[in-house]
This record gives sequence, structure tokens and C-alpha cells, in this order.
Amino acid sequence: MRPENYQAINQPPSNEFELNFGPNHPGIEGNYAFRVKLNGDEVTAARADAGYLHRGFEKLMEGRLWIQNIALVPRICVPDPVPMEVCYSLAIEELCGLEVPVRAQWIRVMQLEMSRLAAHLFAFGGHAATTGMYTPMFWGVADRDLILDRFEELTGGRVYSIYNIPGGVRREVPDGFLERLSNLLDYLESRLPDYDSLFFTNQVFIRRARDVGTMTQEQALKWGVTGPPLRATGLEFDVRRDDPYLVYEQIDFDIPTEPGGDALSRNLVRRAELLQSIRILRQVIARLPTLKGPVRCPIPNPLAWNVPAGESYTRVESSKGELAYYVVSTGGDKPYRVHVRGPSAMHAVQVLEKLAVGARLEDIAQIMFSLDACPPEVDR
Amino acid sequence: MSKELNLWLDKLLNDIENVKVERKSSRRIRIDVESDALPALLELLQGHASYVHLSAISCVDWVDAGEFELVYHVWSYETRSLVSAHTRIPREPGIYLSIYDLYEPAGFFERDIHEMFGVYFEGSPDMEKFILTEWNGPPPMRKEFDSEAFVNQTFEFEDYRPQWLQDIEEEGGGITTRPEDVR
Amino acid sequence: MSKDDLILRKERQLQVELGQQRSNPLAHVFDNLVNFCRSRSLFMLHYCTGCGAIELPPAMTSRFDMERLGIQPMVTPRQADILLITGYVSIKTLKRIILTYEQMPAPKYVIGICSCTVNGGMYWQSYATAKVLKHYLPVDVYIAGCMPRPEAVIEGLQDLMEDIKSGRANSWKKYFHNYDYYLGNQQQLFGEDWQTPTDIIAEARHYDLLTEQTLGEHTALLEKHQKPLEALEMRLQGQKQPL
Repeated sequence: MRPENYQAINQPPSNEFELNFGPNHPGIEGNYAFRVKLNGDEVTAARADAGYLHRGFEKLMEGRLWIQNIALVPRICVPDPVPMEVCYSLAIEELCGLEVPVRAQWIRVMQLEMSRLAAHLFAFGGHAATTGMYTPMFWGVADRDLILDRFEELTGGRVYSIYNIPGGVRREVPDGFLERLSNLLDYLESRLPDYDSLFFTNQVFIRRARDVGTMTQEQALKWGVTGPPLRATGLEFDVRRDDPYLVYEQIDFDIPTEPGGDALSRNLVRRAELLQSIRILRQVIARLPTLKGPVRCPIPNPLAWNVPAGESYTRVESSKGELAYYVVSTGGDKPYRVHVRGPSAMHAVQVLEKLAVGARLEDIAQIMFSLDACPPEVDR
Repeated sequence: MSKELNLWLDKLLNDIENVKVERKSSRRIRIDVESDALPALLELLQGHASYVHLSAISCVDWVDAGEFELVYHVWSYETRSLVSAHTRIPREPGIYLSIYDLYEPAGFFERDIHEMFGVYFEGSPDMEKFILTEWNGPPPMRKEFDSEAFVNQTFEFEDYRPQWLQDIEEEGGGITTRPEDVR
Repeated sequence: MSKDDLILRKERQLQVELGQQRSNPLAHVFDNLVNFCRSRSLFMLHYCTGCGAIELPPAMTSRFDMERLGIQPMVTPRQADILLITGYVSIKTLKRIILTYEQMPAPKYVIGICSCTVNGGMYWQSYATAKVLKHYLPVDVYIAGCMPRPEAVIEGLQDLMEDIKSGRANSWKKYFHNYDYYLGNQQQLFGEDWQTPTDIIAEARHYDLLTEQTLGEHTALLEKHQKPLEALEMRLQGQKQPL
């Protein structure tokens, strides 16, 4: 080529490239794309891209009766569906002024804690799989399956139970259920030493997860982080204790915190919450046989039920953070507006983009799973 | 109410006109305020009354009144109470101020409301489409958008005709009332 | 002889009469062997689209072990046999699924899990989900449920294995035979300038699967909206920010 025809082309240096962490990848339970710009191994810019699981829930809920939405609502958060049902039922009960019988409230607490156990077991497994350790994932999924068996016995459905309705729960607890649940809790506690030696105190995992995705307490409060990631920075805040609902004021439990603020601390917080959930469940199992009474209060004909006008904002602690529902009614038989505030709405979008900058490529999946970003909640 | 909000803040709010404070229960307070006074109210709540956590921003579409109602839910870790600040903006043109510099979580909610309702927030760092990147229609959460009509126009459903129904139809029977007519 | 063998025998007789198979069964020994081996060693592309994705880890792990049937997860479409569509498909995801499906080499099979792929399911009023999956991709097996248990998923997979073994699972050929119909439905959702990097018509010509329904008015739009290849450029701005 002649020198006068030579034109320099401006190209980026060869160690910079953009990667699309496509919609389907091991760091997430669902479909969520994440575009990162890499300089070798290190992330310099990141952008989240959601909408792969969008169904238009809030629009769908406006077109269905109040009782029909109970079937829609658990599908917003796939790994942990029970807090969604409970939060929606609590919102309607607040609007109508319904009084839920005490026995139903304890049964609801039992379901919530069982769902929290199942979700945390799934979260450990997922976090281990992102670091390349597949055995804790197999164990976590297998143990979670035993909890799903108990759900099936109680409610009829493994994952989407649709057992809570405004006014209480649908059916009475089966005979012998509490005994089987108690045996399951003993089994889970006996498995914890195995999990510890393989996963939680394993130096391989600790060195992988330490100082990954660190955030300080000021950053967490500024970014609106709630749930286990916030407790992993040292702040003791739990909706169950500070904004109590159902019968949590009568139950004895601690709120575990860790000072680190990195992926390892979040994992340890979840492990401690597992033990707390088992403790709460044991109190519920001891208390339930002493309570007699109905399991739901009478409600008008659900197919022609006009809920009084008003609005209500109810909050519940799901396994991922603070979950809230804002329900507006204008006195009709369908909701006027239902706004779902999922915890992952904060964690998966803004916080993830900020934490990913400066991280290494192999840690991005770990950060995603340790923040417990749940894409169906972001997309609704 | 004066246990939750500071005493002087309570007095201040009662002195300002067009601010209506109502306590709904021991941990829920509702404030109705004019749209131009809302950012100042939130700044007061955040700075002086420790309401540092923005829980959500919700938008309700009141089509008959021609207004959008924006609700800002803020929570305080110290006083353990939630304040919902309600304000209304006219539906046309649907522009409002962003409070991103006060509360960072507002970035997500404002982006979401912009996508779903079409409300533009001035000063927000990011108004790019997030969930509906491949949607070319009107903002879907507005009341005039009918989701079912759109679905019937765009998609085709399978007609369900199993063998037992075909046998009945051969003998002269069949479905007399379709579900769509009864609903 | 069992009932299934009788049915297969009748089918084979019918196919012989139609001229699709030769009457000497030994003529198809190699095909039958290949189909038998294929049915016992399937790689499943782990594309979990919707809600049903939560029941897939239990089906894959030790409790309801799918690996004993020879089915393993695979991460890249280029080496996968089955595309599992676990749940509803939103419009944004449908684009990616079609791209993925076209990247898989033949023979490939599609399984639609959950009722949302059958006829819209629970989200039938939603503006953002595709209602009937088989209008956009040919589907071999549907597994209904909301959501189906892992045992139901495994039974559906066993049905697919039986279909492959007897040579009935040929829906990938349908994609080449009726490409105009599928492309028409896809263009109705995504716009007239919808294009994928895979050249289906050239592939159909190469594998001799072109029929008169492959080309039509919708495929003519492909040439009309041909986009030139442009250089890829970086779109994300930003330098390293201190935390």
C-alpha cells in the first residue's frame, strides 16, 4: 500500500471489549441481561437490561376480581412466593377491616418461615454454583425439596401454594403435619455441620467471596438496600421487628448482622437467618396445638365483593428484603391500582451497576447471586 | 402524631397551608401536599425528621379527574413510622421534578413510572426505557390502554376442540354460550 | 407383542403404502440404530424462560435425576439437542429464543413446558407475552401444568425419547418446510424488518428440504430489508469509578 493512501483507523485497544452477560446465564435465577465493558479482566462500566420476564402484572391485576388476583400474585416472585400472597391479603384486610383469627395468623407465620428456609437454601446453592462448587447446590436443592413436600401436604401445591386468602387461610392443617415438620427441622439442623465443613468454613469459598461486592453502611442506606445485604453491613433492621405484622411481636427471635458488607458476610447472614427461622418455627409448632378456632373469618361472596374505597401500604419481610404492596380501591369489585415494590427492584438494577464497576469478570455472577437479585420481581 | 413526627415539624406543617396531615394508624401517616411544595417537604422530612429510606414511588392514574397521583413512601429507621406523601399533577403534560438528588432509589422508580405511565421527571439521571425496550405502543399502564383488546388484535388463540366435543357436534349438539358473552 | 409395538407396526405399514418407507425392515437398520442412540443421549439447552425454571433444578439434581435417562444440561446452543421452553415467553425473550433455535444444528427438538406455551395460560390477557408457541416455532412435546412436577417433566422427556426412537419427532423439518408461515407470524410481532443471522432458505436448499411453502410473500420481505454489515462499536461509556 502506498504511504499516501494509509489512513489510521481509530480502534479501541485490544484489551477492551464489551460483553453481554446474556439473558440466560448461571448468575441469575431467571432471565436478566447485563452489559459490561471490560478492560482485560476488570469491569469499567456496566448496564442492566431487564424486561425479559415482563408480563404486565399490574395491568393484569386491574382486570381481575380481588379473589382472582390471589392466583396471580405468587408468580411475581418465583423462588419465594408466600410473602407475596400474605402481603396482598394483609392489604385487603386492612382496607376491609377484616379480623383474621389468631390461629390463621400463626399458620401464616409458619408458611412464611418455611418459605424463607426454602429460599435461603436455594440462595446458598446458587451462590456456591457461581463459584464453581456444585455439591452445595445439589444439597441445597435436595433439602429444599423436602420443604416443598411439606408445602404440598399443607397446601396442595409445591411451589405456588395459593393458600392465603383475605380473611385467613383456606384449610386446616392436616393431622400429623406438625410432627413431620418438626422432624424435618431436626434433619435440617443435623445437616448444618456438613454444610459448614463443605461450604461456609471452606477456605476456598471464603477466599473467593471475601471483599467481593463490598458496600459500607452509608452506601447501603443511601442506595435503599434492605434485607440481608443491609444486615450484612451491620445495621439491624428487619420489618418483622420494626413494622410488625401478624404475630411476630409474640415470637422470640434475633436479627443477625455481620460487619463485613461483602458477599461472604451476606452469605453468613443468610446462614444465621436459617437458624433463626428454625427457632421461630419451633415456637410456632409448640404454640399451634393450643390455639383452637376457625382458620378464616367470614368474607362476603368473593365473586361479587366490593372492597371499600381507600388505600393501604403493607410491608412484609421476604427472604430478599422489604416487600411492599400499595393497593388502591375505589369501592369496586376489581382493584384500581396495585403497585408491587419488590426488594430486587433496588438490588438488581442500581446497586448491581454500582458494585460491578471495579470487580473482576468472574465475580459478577457472585455479586448478582449474593445480592439475591430476582428478575421476575424487577420486571413484574 | 406528635410522638412520631418532631414537635416543631408538626407545628411547621400545620402552619403551612395546603398541607394536610392525617394519621392512619400508629405507624402510618398520610400527607397531602401541593405538587410544588413536595420536594421541600421531602427535604424537611429527610434532613430533620430522619426519614432517610425511600420505600417506593407509586403512580395512580385518575382518568376522570385528568390527574396523576404520585405517592412517595418514606420510612424512618429511628421513629419507625412511614409517611406517604400524596400529590397530584395534571395528566397533560405529565411533567414533574425528580428527587434523585435527595433519595437515590428514586432513579429506578422514576424510570419505571416514565415507561409505564409516560410521566417525565426533569432532572432524573436516566429516563431510558428499561423493561419495555421493544414496545412501540402507548404507555401501557394508562387507563385508556385496554390490554385484552390489544391481545385479541395481535394474537390468535388456539381453538380448543377435543374429540369428545367433535363427537357431540356430529350428533347435532355443541356449545351454545361462549364464555366471552357471559363475562 | 405389546400394544405399542402393534401401533408402530400399523404405522409402518401405512408409511409403506404411502411410499415413505421401504417394505423391507432391514433397509432401515442403520436409521433405527441412530435413532435409538440419539434418544438415549440428549443434551438439553438450559434456557429457562419463565416460571417453570424453578422446577428444573429438582428435575436435574439427585432427587428426580434426569441424568440417568441420559439428559444433561448444555450451555451452548451449537451443541444442544433439546430447547426447553420452561414457561411463558415474553416478546423480548421470543426474539432470543428464535435466534437460539436457529443456531442449533438439526435434528433438534423443542419442548414446551407449562400451560402458557399451549394457549396463553394465566397471562392470556397480557400485552407482553406470546400466546401460542407453535405459531412461531415447531414444538414436539407439550407438558401441561402450572407448574408441572419434576416427575411430569421427566415423563414428557420420556415421551420425547420414544418419539425420537420411533422416528416420529421430525418437527425441525417442519420449520424448513413451512418457513414462510413461521416467518409471517414472527414478522407480525417484531415488525417487517425482522431478520436473523441464520439463512434458513439456503440451509433448506442445501439439505434438500425446500417445498413450495418455504418461500412466499413474507420471505420476500427478507431481501427487501437486507441490512449491510456494519462495524461493531462500543456503546457503554465510562471509566473506572472509585467505590
